[in-house]
Amino acid sequence: MSPALAAALEGAAKIAFVWGVVLGAVLPNLIWVERRMAGLIQDRPGPNRVGPFGLFQAIADILKMFMKEDVVPMYADRLLHTIAPLILLVPAMATFAVIPFGSSLHLFDRDIPLVIADVNIGILYVFALTSIGIYGLVLAGWASNNKFALLGGLRSSAQVISYELAMGIAAIAVFLAAGSLRLTRVVEYQASGTFLGFLPLWNCFPQALGCMIFVVSAFAETNRLPFDLPEAEAELVAGYHTEYSAFRFGMFFMAEYLNLIAASAMMATLYFGGWSLPGLHLTGFVGSLVSIAVFAAKTGFFIFLFVWVRWTLPRFRFDQLMNLGWKVFLPLSLLNLIATGALVLWGVI
Amino acid sequence: MPALMMPAVGGELVVFGFASLLTLAFALLMLVQKTPVRSVLSLVVTFFGLSVLAILLAAPFIAALQIFVYAGAILVLFLFVIMLLNLEEEAADKDDRPVQRTLGLLVALALGGLLAGATLRAPLPPRGAPTSARIPMPDEIPALGRLLFSDYLLAFEVLSLLLLVAAVGALLLSKRRFE
Repeated sequence: MSPALAAALEGAAKIAFVWGVVLGAVLPNLIWVERRMAGLIQDRPGPNRVGPFGLFQAIADILKMFMKEDVVPMYADRLLHTIAPLILLVPAMATFAVIPFGSSLHLFDRDIPLVIADVNIGILYVFALTSIGIYGLVLAGWASNNKFALLGGLRSSAQVISYELAMGIAAIAVFLAAGSLRLTRVVEYQASGTFLGFLPLWNCFPQALGCMIFVVSAFAETNRLPFDLPEAEAELVAGYHTEYSAFRFGMFFMAEYLNLIAASAMMATLYFGGWSLPGLHLTGFVGSLVSIAVFAAKTGFFIFLFVWVRWTLPRFRFDQLMNLGWKVFLPLSLLNLIATGALVLWGVI
Repeated sequence: MPALMMPAVGGELVVFGFASLLTLAFALLMLVQKTPVRSVLSLVVTFFGLSVLAILLAAPFIAALQIFVYAGAILVLFLFVIMLLNLEEEAADKDDRPVQRTLGLLVALALGGLLAGATLRAPLPPRGAPTSARIPMPDEIPALGRLLFSDYLLAFEVLSLLLLVAAVGALLLSKRRFE
């Protein structure tokens, strides 16, 4: 087999694995977890009739979306109304390409790094894709020709731009410490030593402030409660997706969950050591499988956090959201950047 | 002659052709489009084409910035303003500003002439020059950072000052209107 063919096969296998796991296993279970958790938190059983413990509820939900009638409003901009959900969905699916989901796997005499594309622009790629996703929301709002949808679209653009700033500056500090934008390098750096002699060198310890800003901003970026202003149902009916039904609505739904999964994976990678575990050298075949499990567990925790927060906190007001983003998080993220720079300069981390 | 200027053969040429065509076509579409929202979207596609060209030049960092900053932030603001003002289709042209129109045309022609002249005068790459596929991709980001903070420090600082002045000015103008 020629090296080029082998490399192509390897890439295809990794893409199939990542999308298979995300779309086939995580996404449907996430729908179930969200609905059951909501029930648990609100002291009711939640959906428990379809399959054991209601586990097949997701299948029923998705089937329902396929079966419903697809309505396009009469005065909508048909072209933009159709492509808006796709603009949101495609970047959400492409984000997973640069996230390292395990150490390297030795198979068929090849060392296979467990990341689809180890590019040197790492997180910039993720940010670039996230910023493209906004167009989906804004266009959905505009193309529907509905005042509630338009307001939702306006809110989403203002919100995402505001929080992207603080999130980006928080992430810069991570790369200052690791010395590279490559996400594989960020994970290696976090696995490489200790902080203050007894803590793992995970970025969440020296950059606790940056970590907090990143996590909270991620809620705003993914339009999850308490920051789901673009679709605030109490004021805007359903916000940007008011005029969407059936599978087009399903695409928004899917993109939101995919963004949530990607954001959780990014938190685990940037601040919580990615696939590494302190004291363990994850090499060899078993080691690489363990590393995948470690990464899945960390990501799973943050997914759980998203669900937990959604059913616990009430929604912010829009002016509160803007104040928090511009007057609190932006200065704090700059402070975090300067502090991290000082730590790097003095050789503490 | 044009064959000489093309970067390489095969796949790269196809990608180059496709990206340039896309860039030019959507740039034109942006100009002739009557609905402002669609104009902005055409410009987004143009920026995508430009970033593909940057990747062909082995500069993925520039490509990512192109998308992140231009397509992702600046054009979203454009869209935001257009939606906020709720601009509908442009009214049919009534030429009520003949002076500005003539001046604009002259400036555009001068700029186009300069660009065309500079491009025609630039030396052709020698035959068999390394193409992007054959250049080992260096870690361009540290190198870029070092250049910005050494050789181009003054230009860099002046630019950031300019942006700051613009931001303060915008703030002042909007504040005065509300008072």
